Amino acid sequence: MKKILALLMAVVMLFTLAACGGNNDETKTQSLAVCLASEPDTIDPALNSSVDGATLVAHLFSGLAKWAQDDAGKLVIVADAAEELVEGVENEDGTVTYTYTLKEGLTWSDGQPLKASDFVFAWNRAASPALAADYNYMLDVVKGYAEMWETKETGEVDEEGNPVEEFVNPDAKLAVEATDDRTLVVTINNAVAYWNELLAFPTYYPVREDVVASENWATDPATYVCNGPYTMTGWEHNSVITLAKNDKYFDAEKVTMPEIKFYLSDDANNMLTNYKNGDWLLIDDVPTNDIATLKTEYPEEFVVAGQIGTYYVSWNINEDILPASSTLTGVEAEAAEAEIRNALALVLDRNYIVNNISQAGEVPASSFVAMGMTDADGSEFYKNAGSSEEYDGYFNASADAFEDNFKAAVEVLKKYYTYDEASAKFTDVPALTYIYNTNDGHQAIGEYIQGAFAAVGITVNLENQEWNTFLNTRKNGEYTVARNGWLADYNDPISFLDMWTTVSGNNDVQFGKGEHKDLAMYSVDVTDLGVDLKVENGTWAETYDALITEIKACTDSEKRYGLMHAAEDLLMSTGCITPIYYYTDIYMIDDSVEGFFANPLGYKYFMYTTIK
Amino acid sequence: MNTKTLLYVLKRVALAVLTVWVVITVTFFVTRAVPGGPFASEKAITPAAKAALEAKYGLDKPVMEQYFTYLKDIVTEFEFGPSLKQRGRDVIDIITDGMKTSAKLGVAAALIALVSGVILGSVAALRRNKIIDKIIMVVTTAFVSMPSFIIGSLLLILFAITFHILPANGNADGGMILPVITLSLYPMAYITRLTRSSMLDVLGQDYIRTAKAKGVSGNKIIFKHALKNSLIPVLTYFGPMLAYIVTGSLVVEQIFAVPGIGRSFVNSITNRDYTLIMGTTIVLAILIIVMNLVTDILYKVVDPRINLE
Repeated sequence: MKKILALLMAVVMLFTLAACGGNNDETKTQSLAVCLASEPDTIDPALNSSVDGATLVAHLFSGLAKWAQDDAGKLVIVADAAEELVEGVENEDGTVTYTYTLKEGLTWSDGQPLKASDFVFAWNRAASPALAADYNYMLDVVKGYAEMWETKETGEVDEEGNPVEEFVNPDAKLAVEATDDRTLVVTINNAVAYWNELLAFPTYYPVREDVVASENWATDPATYVCNGPYTMTGWEHNSVITLAKNDKYFDAEKVTMPEIKFYLSDDANNMLTNYKNGDWLLIDDVPTNDIATLKTEYPEEFVVAGQIGTYYVSWNINEDILPASSTLTGVEAEAAEAEIRNALALVLDRNYIVNNISQAGEVPASSFVAMGMTDADGSEFYKNAGSSEEYDGYFNASADAFEDNFKAAVEVLKKYYTYDEASAKFTDVPALTYIYNTNDGHQAIGEYIQGAFAAVGITVNLENQEWNTFLNTRKNGEYTVARNGWLADYNDPISFLDMWTTVSGNNDVQFGKGEHKDLAMYSVDVTDLGVDLKVENGTWAETYDALITEIKACTDSEKRYGLMHAAEDLLMSTGCITPIYYYTDIYMIDDSVEGFFANPLGYKYFMYTTIK
Repeated sequence: MNTKTLLYVLKRVALAVLTVWVVITVTFFVTRAVPGGPFASEKAITPAAKAALEAKYGLDKPVMEQYFTYLKDIVTEFEFGPSLKQRGRDVIDIITDGMKTSAKLGVAAALIALVSGVILGSVAALRRNKIIDKIIMVVTTAFVSMPSFIIGSLLLILFAITFHILPANGNADGGMILPVITLSLYPMAYITRLTRSSMLDVLGQDYIRTAKAKGVSGNKIIFKHALKNSLIPVLTYFGPMLAYIVTGSLVVEQIFAVPGIGRSFVNSITNRDYTLIMGTTIVLAILIIVMNLVTDILYKVVDPRINLE
């Protein structure tokens, strides 16, 4: 029996030794192993909507433009497949036409020539209802998009009694054409400041018609034909995606990393273990509990980068938060509730949250449009938000101002609720339920809010929900207060503002819906900007929705940004958005890796890296 | 095989088919009843795009119609359809991919558990009340009472982080060692205890005494007479062990990031990927049902005294 045991031990030890073998130093500098997230749902450039998927696609495809680092290390958008990023020509009707010339001799990874018509096909495909991609609206600036998505009611109703709609123009196409193999002409509805940035966005990358004819093309390296710096050479599902340098890419000689292995994992603990082991050289997530230790343990390798996004609390505008004894109704009740919500926003100490709870270098937020968004003059949009000269945004979020904010908030709340001087607490505020999706970080912030509100006598019940259920609850407005967050798709404040129109699918606050629909209480006057829009005591649709429509049609940059500030002013006046902090992107990168950069959307670029 | 046995097998197969149908039906309606849907995300898609997607995957039809279409596809073509979340991939491909890994993990764990369990159990029985027996009993008691996520995390900390001997990630070279060990410890401990008690029982039987009296050598008694008969209870544990390994792998695959079917299963639920939820549930259910059936029939083959009714 002892012999058998000894034999078993020997087998186990052999296994162990085999596991220890592997990479030697030579191959270690030729292949970069990183882990961003778990398996992407898709790496079809038109269908992808995740940040990690976009990173992969940015290595595999080459659009008209791309993100790059200039000699000084500054992030810029430069021409990629296009010879240059031309200026547009404004037409009489306000639309703008761009004519791009493709670089000479561009090919796909299978050797076939890349043609301007491939872009025409790809853009029409990405925008089409037939594909129904998450990011189809990224092409909504292109002329013809609106016609593509125009629907009318058929007169029939479905099972739930909702009217059935059908598309009016099933054959509609975007105003983009290839006048020859290398010339692409596109017309957009109006001048937009972020047009070049859109050209660098995955939705705008080319795909070839015969390649994507099979629905499964993007899941198999054998059928994945691309035109970027890399090709996909392997995809072990849920395990690793391997990219190898594409020698057919026109700028291949500048690409320094021969192979990149994207390991697929969504477990932050697992990522950290592999990072500490030295197996993975970049990881895009770390366990929240380890952040404080990692910051001191790896001061050079733990990176906190800016990201254009805001973590906030959203309030359901149709939920009653006045005391039971209140006699206010309609417009008066809503005005009072707006004042109350804005006051409650001041009870929260954002510096405490970012320094002691989230701890990832986030910045306390006092506006909805995030830090990192630029204004018309190139300054930070959030610094110009609100009316105060003293501080940025709509209230003073600095640590010093907290005590004054708190006192001011209590004074406002005293107007509506009964205050017990002895205990310094309000006694008749209805209990609130704060919902968040199951996650330690969100829970910790929920607990903080619970504590902070309890300090003024408000009971907050916490309720966590599974992710998909949570999305559903919030979207349908079946809540009072909810955790919320938003990351921008491109560097323009409109991507924060158009989500609050009545019909938007992201209108979690329920603006313009239910009882709020008929409340005529908002005023807008933007005539001083030279825009013909002045409404007094209008509904949400008459004011906010109208403002957004004006912004989308506006071609004058200064006016447009003025309108966006007006829209944010109106949004923040409702108190339904309580900003907490501006997001940051945290990741760890081994100090042996050089030449890496990331863009403000969180896409990471490894093509120009080297390993020391 | 006599008629009685054949009848029994047929009855069991019919029951198994019925069970699978119940599983399909319940899962189908429960997934549809849970709030949320496959096309929900932090950034909501436009209602028009959502409607277009629902039409594409037939989710715009009445639920009953969807159910019968699904049943028909399963029965006539064993067709699971496309994944709703991982666009461009078929459910059957995702399951096959995951199964390859999970099967490796499961089979390795089962074999290790069986072999080492039987060996350790026999050693403990033959050295009853000696120090080696006591050590084995203490250790197996510990493994039986510790849930796999604790054992997994302990092994991870010890071998992957502290000593750097083995990778933490199931994909890496040698990455399957820790998950296999984690998954095998519980059934191994169970089999050890089972073998020990059944071996002790057999060793006290008259026919063993007879063999000893006849002067049969020690090894021959153990291997030819005692071990064979003491394995019958172990065989009965085969079905439950498989069920444990299938369900246990859901946890273990998560801890060690093993790209198996367990992870696909868990993720499909979070994503409301209806077709993938159905596919994984059906495959796992069939697996457990079939293995239990096989165990019961084997049971009869090994010990003819057992009455199947």
